[in-house]
Amino acid sequence: MGEGQAGGSKPFDPLESFRGLRDVYLDAMAKAMVEAVNTESYAKASGAMLDATLTLSAPMREGLEKSMPPVLEQLSLPSRQDIVALAERFTNLEMRLDDMDAKLDRILGLSHPAQPGVPAETAAEPVAASAPAVKARPARTRPAKPVAARTPAAAAKPVARRRKAAPSRQPGRKGAK
Amino acid sequence: MEQAPAITEQVALVEERLRTLNKVMTTKAAIAQTPKELVWTLNKAKLYRYIPVVPKEERHGIPLLLVFALMNRPYILDLRPGHSFVEFLVSRGYDVYLLDWGVPGPEDKHLKFDDYALDYIPRAVRKVKAISGSEEFSMLGWCIGAILTTIYASMLPNHGLRNLILLTAPLDFGNKQDITFARWTDEKYFDVEKVLAAFGNMPGEMIDYGAKALKPVENYIGNYIKLWDNLDNPQIVEAWHAMNTWVTDNIPLAGGAFRQLIVDLYQNNRLMKGEMIIRGQRVDLGQLRANLLTVIAGADHITPPCQSEAILSKVASRDKEIFHVPGGHIGIMAGSGAHKLTWPHIDGWLGARSSPKLDGRN
Repeated sequence: MGEGQAGGSKPFDPLESFRGLRDVYLDAMAKAMVEAVNTESYAKASGAMLDATLTLSAPMREGLEKSMPPVLEQLSLPSRQDIVALAERFTNLEMRLDDMDAKLDRILGLSHPAQPGVPAETAAEPVAASAPAVKARPARTRPAKPVAARTPAAAAKPVARRRKAAPSRQPGRKGAK
Repeated sequence: MEQAPAITEQVALVEERLRTLNKVMTTKAAIAQTPKELVWTLNKAKLYRYIPVVPKEERHGIPLLLVFALMNRPYILDLRPGHSFVEFLVSRGYDVYLLDWGVPGPEDKHLKFDDYALDYIPRAVRKVKAISGSEEFSMLGWCIGAILTTIYASMLPNHGLRNLILLTAPLDFGNKQDITFARWTDEKYFDVEKVLAAFGNMPGEMIDYGAKALKPVENYIGNYIKLWDNLDNPQIVEAWHAMNTWVTDNIPLAGGAFRQLIVDLYQNNRLMKGEMIIRGQRVDLGQLRANLLTVIAGADHITPPCQSEAILSKVASRDKEIFHVPGGHIGIMAGSGAHKLTWPHIDGWLGARSSPKLDGRN
């Protein structure tokens, strides 16, 4: 491709003669369509179409939702509801672990206060400094964090506040209904 | 006799184009290449820290947390080497963290702005503070990420947020004439409860359709014609491939958050009216005191400029600025001109306010 262009002979393009016309047509169509979709009638039509689709599909969806759990139970397989309930419990556990992590940070910070004005660093830091931005390293969970990485005030505030503000903050929970 | 080689050449050219087209349409580009480390997780959310490349003593003292929208992948901020906002920030000496919301599953359909703004962000912030050792931090919110960071900054104004950057922030929904989404989601035509009853979470494909339908000809035809016309240009093909990888990588929006977006914001403009209730408390924008930079895209069809301007008159920040950039919703940060206009401006504004000392702070 490039060689042909470098040699000065422009490759033949069968669409070239139509390109200008095409672009003019598309520009005009684009403007017309933008105006068309920004009207009440389009909003009404698209809303009606979505409503009809949802109404028509509802019986099948509801039928499946009702019929599948007994079938899965017969097959000794978990249903979607079972997995959702399990996932919610996992998230709740993660929240509690995060709360404990915050408390631990606070305790460690109080017992080993960082020197004022000296920012903490992480285990990741040594890897970083001279690494060129070339390739992403595989992410790892929970990198080791030296005690010095913690500062007293960095820890407990969100947890303490959250507890006050959110008496029932189970993940994904009932509150949304 | 001269026709035969010319035809052969043309056939080879078309073959080459089709090969390129096939590759671009059927593969994913290599994106999000800037080295990073996972430092915290909660449910589907992940917090990454980008590996600094500037010596510690030359870095800015205040870390920066990036918060992207809920229904798109955040790697648009780190699209590809040489065209990555994250890479730019890291090279400019910022300690950069990215909050990736992940993909909500059926178990997350009740997640609301309340959970994201008052559970996830504060916990991620705590980790940012613990790792950086700084009690203060900066935050950049883009699109719905800007809504979440605004709510967070208003409700927890004493958590050490020094600088807040809002990119194409949909906050004011009062001018319904200029906001096409507001017209489509009017309660007369759009039944949010029916949609959520059917899907639980708002499917990514429907969100993608909505975004593309705002400019149907450009998105469904013009975009591909642009690619076809430039298949001989590797730079344009590479850029198109990366952007297409991001655009087609859709994720659902948690049902609870989608309900709030439509009912509280698009239909009733509650945030700007001071009527939005988050976890039992009214969101008072007057409590937002962080230094504020609002970046507005002049040709944004998803978040028209009128949605981002009024915030400045509502907040208590003394140091506040609006920056208008020519371009679209995504183009201002990921387009070819972003590194010449938007990124340097953000760097200039943030750099002047990222010293560990209290200069420039309200």
